[in-house]
Amino acid sequence: MVGKKRILASVAAISALAMGLAGCGAGNGNSDASTPNKGEKVTLTYMHRLPDSKGMTLVNDIVKKWNDKNPNIQVKATKFDGKSAEMIKKLETDVKADNGPDLAQLGYAEVPEVFTKGMLQDVTSEAKKYEGNFAKGPFNLMQVDGKYYGLPQDTGPMLYFYNKAELDKLGITELPKTADEMIADAQKTAAAGKYMMTLQADGNWLSGMAGASGPWYKVQGGKWAVNTNTEGSKATADTFQKLVDAKAALYIDRWSPTFDSDIQNNTIIGTVGGAWEAPLIMGSAGEHGVGDWRMAQLGDWFGNGTKTGPNGGSGVAVLKGSKHPAEAMKFLNWFNTQVADLTSQGLIVAATTEKAKTPEAWAKFYGGEDLMKEFATANDNMSSFTYIPGFSAVNSDIVEKTAKVADGSVKMKDVFDSAQKTSVDTLKNYNLPVKE
Amino acid sequence: MLPFAILFSLVFILPIIWAIYSSFFRQVSTGGGAYGGGTLVNKFVGLTNFQYVFTSRNFWLGCGRVLIYTVIQVPVMMGIALALAMILDSFIVKHVVGFRLSYFLPYAIPGAVASIIWVFLYNDQISPIVKGLKAIGIPVNFFAPGMRIVSMANITTWTFTGYNMLIFLAALQAIPHDLYEAARIDGANNFQIAMKIKLPNVRGAALLAVLLSIVGSIQLFNEPQIMQTMDQGISKSYTPMMMALNTSQGSLTPGGDGPASAIAIVMALIAGVLAIGYAFAESKVNEQ
Repeated sequence: MVGKKRILASVAAISALAMGLAGCGAGNGNSDASTPNKGEKVTLTYMHRLPDSKGMTLVNDIVKKWNDKNPNIQVKATKFDGKSAEMIKKLETDVKADNGPDLAQLGYAEVPEVFTKGMLQDVTSEAKKYEGNFAKGPFNLMQVDGKYYGLPQDTGPMLYFYNKAELDKLGITELPKTADEMIADAQKTAAAGKYMMTLQADGNWLSGMAGASGPWYKVQGGKWAVNTNTEGSKATADTFQKLVDAKAALYIDRWSPTFDSDIQNNTIIGTVGGAWEAPLIMGSAGEHGVGDWRMAQLGDWFGNGTKTGPNGGSGVAVLKGSKHPAEAMKFLNWFNTQVADLTSQGLIVAATTEKAKTPEAWAKFYGGEDLMKEFATANDNMSSFTYIPGFSAVNSDIVEKTAKVADGSVKMKDVFDSAQKTSVDTLKNYNLPVKE
Repeated sequence: MLPFAILFSLVFILPIIWAIYSSFFRQVSTGGGAYGGGTLVNKFVGLTNFQYVFTSRNFWLGCGRVLIYTVIQVPVMMGIALALAMILDSFIVKHVVGFRLSYFLPYAIPGAVASIIWVFLYNDQISPIVKGLKAIGIPVNFFAPGMRIVSMANITTWTFTGYNMLIFLAALQAIPHDLYEAARIDGANNFQIAMKIKLPNVRGAALLAVLLSIVGSIQLFNEPQIMQTMDQGISKSYTPMMMALNTSQGSLTPGGDGPASAIAIVMALIAGVLAIGYAFAESKVNEQ
């Protein structure tokens, strides 16, 4: 009996403690909000997932420049080491606990999802002030339902990366223009054990190709109209199915070390990727094939003509609970227009304030090509692709099904059929209206 | 008592109560419009989350994988652990401490790290094992659909065999040595002593070891989760525990803490039922 009472007492004590703590937090929050003194020193927190690797201008160094010039708006940047899904889960919990950072990096595909989860703060009027500094397409990707929640950082139009020296050796001196030419050429290289096309299990990657000429998701009359089986999707499915059937495309996990070794031993001599992959492919290649690689716009391989789609790219949003949204946006505008520094992080910046220069090491690897010019062309050809809240569930469904395409148990067409079902289910599970 | 009670309720009781509570809720938007107005509310949905779990094909597929995995992995591991313990216990081996430590060492490596090491050893481009086997004419793909479970079972076996061996070894060394002497006087040889005296006396330890292993297997997570980083054919719902994590992160639909908690609770119930059933069966066997 005594033991039981003791337990009860301690449980009560803990709950009291917990309540006390919660009350304490709320109290502090309120007092902060009630004294928004202008000109007083504010401290902003900013969470990012930028690479911060060797040889780059580190985020903390960029931020330091700002901090030195702006004693009243001090910024503290934190790098999140982990996947974006993990970061969003953390932010979600933190925002709920009124403990989130002021600014956080979000993939464009994640913005609607994070908005629906109630994590974003409306900063439309602030964003409009800085509109002129950024490319229109990416700027609009930080918008949901007509309101703006942050500023864009980088863009990821899809381009074709290829090892020119290797293709030349196999007699392919000109890139294929149509799907049939691509398939024929890919078969030629595959016969030599080399692949000029990869198939990747990645929803952002596949939707980028399939959705380039016609988006999957549209809002019509306040409801979602979902069609993941657009003409572009059908053409994409058709091309990849033929490539897989002919064993002419290499199914590859882009982020496994296998990709690196395949590049280094010339197994992969061509791949489609987001613009931001340019420095990453250099990293994968290491010292191998320097000067042999090139980058080009996609041919009309997926029924999209000259259009290309987005693959990733991200912006920085102001989170709900931030006490200083105006100051946060002021810093953000400055940070996202540090073109040279952000380029060093491997980003294809969305800022238009100055012309980005191709870093020397990049030009060396890509045979002296003016990469930034190609990026600009790709940016101009990029379609606007709207993502639904919950796209991450669609993404993982595509990953799973595409992996099965590789072993032959699923057809490419089924990948997009399944995406349709998952998209609709996800929207319904969020209680969002779907047009059937 | 009090410090224990506080910690116990804080890290054990409260999370369980919280999980049960949240399993009755789902996050849905009520703000209207295509984007739901930017506010998700916790809506009481009764048993909907549990209904979802029980009718989810992916959940039962995951359970099936875990079952196959358990049936393969636990007996193999127990067999090896028992054999090693018997060898160490017998007078064949002189330096018991050194052997005991070396077999136990893999257990000291955190499960996630062990998985990472093995995933590299499985990778066909990097692994000396795969390259070595290929060189002698045995091509293996540790990530082939039929091989995945075996590859995972191998990681677990490598990690936990030493741990189980210790349980067996402790039980073996607790057997009074008078029994051996008596048996030897009766004319028993070493093999007979092992089979007739040692084996029956480690039954209690075996029960404990198997029980712990079954509970561990049900929570199969580290190995598939880490293998997934190199093999996207392993789905986000490969095992129920992975499904719970990915559901809570919104990578599966329905997502959120409610459905994720429901998955975790159903798994806890299944584990509980299995453990009770196993204990019951074992006691029946012991009675006879």
